[in-house]
Amino acid sequence: MSLINLNDIYKIYNVGGEEVRALDGVDITINSNEYLAIMGPSGSGKSTMMNMIGCLDTPSSGIYMFEGEEVHIMDDAQLASIRNRKIGFVFQTFNLLPKASALQNVEIPLVYANIKKEKRIKMASKALKDVGLEDRMYHKPNELSGGQRQRVAIARALVNQPSIILADEPTGNLDSKSGHEIMGIFDDLHSQGNTIILVTHEDVIAQHAKRTIRLFDGKITDDTKRK
Amino acid sequence: MFSLFFENFRISIGSVFANKTRSILTALGIVIGVLSVTLMGTLISGLDRSFENSMSWLGKDILHISRYEWFSDMEWWEVKNRPRLRSEYVEKIRQRSKYALAVSPVMQRGASLAYKDKETQTEIFGTNEDYMETISTNIEQGRFFTETEDISGSRVTIIGHGIKEAFFEGDNPIGQYIKIDNVKFKVIGVLEKQGKFLGFFSVDKQAVLPLGAFNRIFSKRGWMRLSVKVPEDKVSEGLDEISGIMRQLRRLKPSEKSDFSINQTKAFESQYNTLKFAIGGTGFFITLLSLIVGGIGIMNIMFVTVKERTKEIGVRKAIGATNGMILSQFLMEAVTICLVAGLVGLMIAYISSIFINKIFPSTLPIGLSIFSIVMSIFVGVVSGFIPAYKASKLDPIDSLRYE
Ligand SMILES: Nc1ncnc2c1ncn2[C@@H]1O[C@H](COP(=O)(O)OP(=O)(O)OP(=O)(O)O)[C@@H](O)[C@H]1O
Ligand SMILES: [Mg+2]
Repeated sequence: MSLINLNDIYKIYNVGGEEVRALDGVDITINSNEYLAIMGPSGSGKSTMMNMIGCLDTPSSGIYMFEGEEVHIMDDAQLASIRNRKIGFVFQTFNLLPKASALQNVEIPLVYANIKKEKRIKMASKALKDVGLEDRMYHKPNELSGGQRQRVAIARALVNQPSIILADEPTGNLDSKSGHEIMGIFDDLHSQGNTIILVTHEDVIAQHAKRTIRLFDGKITDDTKRK
Repeated sequence: MFSLFFENFRISIGSVFANKTRSILTALGIVIGVLSVTLMGTLISGLDRSFENSMSWLGKDILHISRYEWFSDMEWWEVKNRPRLRSEYVEKIRQRSKYALAVSPVMQRGASLAYKDKETQTEIFGTNEDYMETISTNIEQGRFFTETEDISGSRVTIIGHGIKEAFFEGDNPIGQYIKIDNVKFKVIGVLEKQGKFLGFFSVDKQAVLPLGAFNRIFSKRGWMRLSVKVPEDKVSEGLDEISGIMRQLRRLKPSEKSDFSINQTKAFESQYNTLKFAIGGTGFFITLLSLIVGGIGIMNIMFVTVKERTKEIGVRKAIGATNGMILSQFLMEAVTICLVAGLVGLMIAYISSIFINKIFPSTLPIGLSIFSIVMSIFVGVVSGFIPAYKASKLDPIDSLRYE
């Protein structure tokens, strides 16, 4: 069974009486342990597609199946639950809570999953260790470098062992060295069996993925798989 | 759900203390609200206590017959035109009434008391041997005078506890002679300590003498009242009966108005209740006003908080917070501000009540303290709900994009 199945998905916004088709009939199937890069010019619908896959957004029309469940008919609470259990987000701007330590940031998804404190700390510490931050657990985000912050964000995405990790331009705010390190982590995660989708503008970043799709005006114009 | 509740509480405490000045300013209304409700309660508890004491001194089962009606708006000439009360009535009331347990005439005037080189101005009372029945004070030392001593005009006196302290210190006053307006009286008894009447003037500095001697030495002029003790469960029957007897004694026709008044502690009670109602009402009004002002302030600050933390809300939703979880987080924050404010208010009230107690015996009522905390929480829930609801309904994508 495929992990993700988008079937004739449309996302249509009405801006001042004019129709904007952010997604214009998208069909795609993504399987477990795929490593997918989404590319395309600005405004082509990459983020919209990511948000759709990440169950943050619902389609204007079309069918979205996630692990055999019909996401397009889910209500807010069901979407929240699926995001919490099955999806790990990594954002371009890290989006850590500034007043919380690295460990506390990583704990948050587990709080929403109603996991007990001791177990939470154990799981969060392990996730931080997996991204190489075991000696930065009690640092606040402003005491960490950009690359380290993004690694905390990856740990937060990983901590509840999601079915898929979504990263919207994860290296967009990083210098090339840190960006390279981050991509190394994604490569490792993929080789450990995780499913990863990332949005990027840069070919060198997309090179890490095993499959690349290109979007243009809300349509998939190219879908290439690599060995 | 419990770990989420705990986490929310931790977040709330953190954000309340992170914005100290703002939280303090916002919460001032709640602090004042809690202060006013609890201090009002403290005040009323103190008034109740001193009122109870004073009422038991006056006696609930005592009818006071006098020319003046307590708390009435009678003009002074109206009072003056009424005939005086006379000590002959005592015997007549005793004969005719079946309810009267004790009847005593009371003449009162100011006088100067002296012992050796000490002197003090005070009130003296001329009365009969029934007097002790009509007051709640007991004899602490010695004895009261007898009917014979009264009739024979013996110069004996029973002094208040305060006089004993002022004149005799540690010595035994019984058998000593004091001067009342320069006339020698033998001390035969001491009344026990009473405290202050309604918290104002002390009744411990009095001297009681037999009416016989009082009249001979200090003339018959002056105000007289009659105090009649009736059974506690027959006060109103007693009142009707005594009123009838008084009208007979005065030979009043049924159409004529009474030319005397029979006063009861009830008159104090209704007066007191009016006062209590006024204090309670004022306190309630101040409380309500400050809670409304405080509640609006908290609602406002919560709207600001939600706006400032829009991005955080987006992130939390993206990693799995449901609308309900966001709602409870912000609701908890509003409640936490109010709860902390309430506790601060209660603490100030408690410290104040310790000081107040030294001047005016009173206690902070526990029930009211609990109520004031519940009230603070309630204000937090009410004023936090709309901002929290708004936060919970934010669209996750819009929130994430918010700068
Ligand atoms: N809330 C919205 N209301 C109206 N139009 C929107 C909204 N969100 C997105 N769009 C439009 O949908 C289109 C796709 O936007 P999207 O953010 O997916 O682009 P993108 O490919 O991620 O671009 P970039 O590379 O700049 O991030 C754009 O034309 C955008 O203007
Ligand atoms: Mg984008």
